[in-house]
Amino acid sequence: VKSSYAYYPGCLASLSQKELDVSTRAICEKLEIKLIDIPGFTCCGAGDVHEARPEYYLHLNARILGQAEQLEQDTLLTICNVCTLNLRQADIKLKADPELLERVNHNLRDVGAAPYAGGVEVRHLLWEIAEGEGYERLKQIAKKPLTGLRIAPFYGCQILRPSKLLGFEDPDRPQSLERIIEACGAEPVDYPSKIKCCGFPIVLAREEVALGELIQPLAEAKEAGADAMVTPCPLCHLSLDAWQGKAAREADIDFGMPIFHLAQLVGAAAGLTYDELLFKRHIVKTHQATDKIYAQ
Amino acid sequence: MQYTLKIERWNPETEQGGLHEYTVEAPETATLLDVLDVVKDTVDGSLSYRKSCRMAVCGSCGMRMDGAAVLACKMPMAPLAEEGRVPVISPMGNLPVVKDLVVDMDPFWAKFRAVKPWLEEDDAPPVKEWRVQQQELDRIMKEALCIQCGCCVSECNSMASDPDFLGPAALAKAARFVGDVRDRDRKGRLELYNGPHGVWDCTRCYFCNERCPKGVDPRDAIAKIGAEIYAEGMLSDKGARHAQVFDVSTRATGYLLETALVPYTDPLKAMDIKFAMQMARAGKVPNPLRPHRAKKLDEVRKLHKLLKTQEAELLAEKRAGVSVDREEAGT
Repeated sequence: VKSSYAYYPGCLASLSQKELDVSTRAICEKLEIKLIDIPGFTCCGAGDVHEARPEYYLHLNARILGQAEQLEQDTLLTICNVCTLNLRQADIKLKADPELLERVNHNLRDVGAAPYAGGVEVRHLLWEIAEGEGYERLKQIAKKPLTGLRIAPFYGCQILRPSKLLGFEDPDRPQSLERIIEACGAEPVDYPSKIKCCGFPIVLAREEVALGELIQPLAEAKEAGADAMVTPCPLCHLSLDAWQGKAAREADIDFGMPIFHLAQLVGAAAGLTYDELLFKRHIVKTHQATDKIYAQ
Repeated sequence: MQYTLKIERWNPETEQGGLHEYTVEAPETATLLDVLDVVKDTVDGSLSYRKSCRMAVCGSCGMRMDGAAVLACKMPMAPLAEEGRVPVISPMGNLPVVKDLVVDMDPFWAKFRAVKPWLEEDDAPPVKEWRVQQQELDRIMKEALCIQCGCCVSECNSMASDPDFLGPAALAKAARFVGDVRDRDRKGRLELYNGPHGVWDCTRCYFCNERCPKGVDPRDAIAKIGAEIYAEGMLSDKGARHAQVFDVSTRATGYLLETALVPYTDPLKAMDIKFAMQMARAGKVPNPLRPHRAKKLDEVRKLHKLLKTQEAELLAEKRAGVSVDREEAGT
């Protein structure tokens, strides 16, 4: 873990998933991690611009990397799976091809943006607190163990795959979320779909297909007796939380499954309150889990 | 060296199956396929699986090991045995099981045929040969490496939900022909792949890239087709319109215009008042009249415009197809 990071919350945590940004800032203060805001950052383009306009996507992300460099930071901290893959993929591509980097920088200079010299690494918050010094600090701040709480980890796709671009852990047998759940004093619940897709990227364009994907992890986590699920991705969160009602009607199962952001789980164990972590902003009421945390 | 594995068996005649454990001796260099051969030769001759080339070229021996699709002939087993792991071997997913580890590939080939995996020429081929530039070949080289083993299809999350999805193998082959400068039906292909079970079904789970034993990266191939469709301004599909909202948002405010995403992608969904109210009550609907605006927005707007110009040049090249004319190529 670093003492400071260029902090990239991305769109969702800046907008509809504001509770993630607020919780992240709160736990980073406890973890003594300084988050340096990037003035003038934009959307990473998500999978959409990446697919539709690959050249523009590359430039958008190079610009963000260049902005992080301007802040004299060597690590860009992300809190979203899609931002993580987008930024890492652009970074790896640019570093591997000096000619391409020069062409992109030429365009960036042309529009008055800072060029990117290739000196930044993109890391997700999950990776920073799942091992080493970051994990030690996490254990120190987790002073209010979430004893008795059964938490189902949901990784989502783009923090695991493609592993040649992400590469933090075995994409088929990840353990980082489990380690964090344990450090928070809760009990990790295992189930097969924890590494599968939540369906979010196509939930508007192909709702039926997306719901078919979403039902599986929700059903398995419930079957395994989870009090809540936790995810490191605000898109997975939106899918699991906001679309849970539609998945429930489709599957005819009353999931009633609270969905935690990773930062909220850590925050709760670090003694932050229900209000500070903005649990009230969830679509599925979290009481089944949060009452166990805050009742004492 | 001693190897222990569990194999998911299925006999369609008796309709009996289940996990069976086998322990056999095989050399330290043994692959999963070698171990299966020993089981078949020495323990149970009725064990069924496909194999042929034994060198990761024919694509016959796709199967799952601990839930992940692999080519049996490419999977060294000693590291697992040393760890004391007892892997579970099962048939590939998303395809019907015929017997034990053998799946019915008919649905796979039907999708393959549906993407027209051949060169479309509008008239006679050149007198002598096509002359294709190296950089033009490079654009489709990865997709051309596919051996049709089905490992990507086995793990496709969208196909598990929509069995009619063309899927990663067929669409990687499709991308190989979309990008082929000799092909004369680029536009027709894009229309074909832009359909209901086409490219926009992909949920970007990246299992296909992770599993492909040949480095084809089918998800990236699907994205290449999406980019061509988008560049041609073919916005009939909700998937393309969804992408357009992101594109336009970055220019308009720098951030995703969340409130535009639903009505523009799918106007009918915008009528889902109950859902919208639920989101609004939780504070999840940003004020559409006062959108969040990024600082230094002019940089991004200029970038957006500049790249549009550069992309248009690239598109003109692609529309023109092969860069040397036929007569010249034939001389």
